[in-house]
Amino acid sequence: MNNVVRLISKVLPAVVFGALFLGTWEWAVRFFELKPYFLTAPSSIGEQFVTNFSFIRRAATVSGTNALVGLIAGTVLGVMMSFVLSRFRFLNQIISPLAVALNAVPIFVLVAVLNNMYSITSEIPRRIMVLLVVYFIVLVNVARGLTQISSTHAELMRSYAASDIAILRKVRVPNALPFLFVSLKIAAPAAVITAFVSEYFGGSQNGLGSRISSNIANSKNAAAWAYVLAACLLGLLFYLFSVVMESLNRKGEAK
Amino acid sequence: MSAVSIRNVSKAFNEGKSNQVDALREVSLDVEPGEFISLIGPSGCGKSTLLRLIANLLEPTAGEVAVNGKSATQARLDQDYGMAFQQAGLFDWRTVRKNIELPLELKGWDKSARRARAEEMLQLVQLPEFADHYPWQLSGGMQQRIAIARALAAHPPLLLMDEPFGALDEMTREYMQGELLRICAATGTTVVFVTHSIPEAVYLSNRVVVMSPRPGRITKIVEVSLGAERTEDTRNRTPFFEAITAVREGLRGMHAAHVGLGNDDR
Repeated sequence: MNNVVRLISKVLPAVVFGALFLGTWEWAVRFFELKPYFLTAPSSIGEQFVTNFSFIRRAATVSGTNALVGLIAGTVLGVMMSFVLSRFRFLNQIISPLAVALNAVPIFVLVAVLNNMYSITSEIPRRIMVLLVVYFIVLVNVARGLTQISSTHAELMRSYAASDIAILRKVRVPNALPFLFVSLKIAAPAAVITAFVSEYFGGSQNGLGSRISSNIANSKNAAAWAYVLAACLLGLLFYLFSVVMESLNRKGEAK
Repeated sequence: MSAVSIRNVSKAFNEGKSNQVDALREVSLDVEPGEFISLIGPSGCGKSTLLRLIANLLEPTAGEVAVNGKSATQARLDQDYGMAFQQAGLFDWRTVRKNIELPLELKGWDKSARRARAEEMLQLVQLPEFADHYPWQLSGGMQQRIAIARALAAHPPLLLMDEPFGALDEMTREYMQGELLRICAATGTTVVFVTHSIPEAVYLSNRVVVMSPRPGRITKIVEVSLGAERTEDTRNRTPFFEAITAVREGLRGMHAAHVGLGNDDR
């Protein structure tokens, strides 16, 4: 009972604020008689969301699958490469600055180039794009976790005459796990954003990002907003995933 | 046979370069089995370097280090010593029990033998109820006791300690000193102990080795005649103060300019 009260008191402010915000929005559109191309009322967005739901779901599945495939493949490749980097330090010195630099530039525009490499209806360029974004985030963080072990731990393992494999299994990998979770927390939202934005650079018009732009091009603003809503929900889903990942990490450390 | 035998050992870092540092020059020392030896001296006197040479974490530039009658390298490969550092260095992702079991795991002990030994060690450091806790749930003093339990888990004849109580408060520190003496008496372990604290060195040791920097060398060895049984009362008795004075004089005997100018402990 107490927990229910606590939950309600925690959630209530956000719900009240959300309701007030939507109410004000709806009221403003009606009161000032705003044109739909300028601002669409939440009620008509909701209506469009319901009537177009099967299309929205299909588009969300396309974008979501691209993001998920890229996220998984990028994570797997990033983790594998981080092991290679931690083994060969000189590679680390070459690739790490590059990876850090790539994190600072909008490399998702590369998708335009990737589109040229594959057929026009292929989803592969977008997935590769997500993969690349995720890959570098995971690579930099996990490689750091594998190499940055405390000097006390390093000396201790040497005093035990531990083999490189034993040090990897018993110190480096456990040390890198929190770094992996942190990188996933950054990579999951980045994956879904990259999947949407990639759709603006051509290719088949079947995902949420391209649906938004084509609906706006056709002056179907309420429908475009409905797709925006779906994009937000999908982004939230991936964000939730990253939060779960972080709580798993916390449980491991529980500091 | 000495537990540790150091013969004319020198250690230089960046040898042959313009920034060469003579961490140790021509050092000789023998440690008898069951003996408690402290290394004391200002920063840069090479006491931590000497400890790491015994542990074979570093190789000497010249001279010989023998542990347990073997080369230092062989002794390390045989895990003839346990080591404890200023940081307890416990692994956060392992329970206390699993931390103590780590050296045994690496030696290839089977699970039941590991578990039994961890239990024994937890009894020895008097923390059996914390077996399934994680290190961060323990106080600094408790963590250090677990680190000692881990260092002694394989029953090594030699324990090497690098300022293990340096990060603890004074009360905990004195308590830990008593605990360490009790544990070493119970196991018959030989100890080489690096410290900055004169009272700590005197209270714990049979002999206190006073070292000086640039180049690192042994300047004086103070015999401490406090007997085998040491209690809190020992700290109030005349021989304790006499030994403290002797160590302090040994440290003062160095050039004042040397003291406190060291850039590090190696």
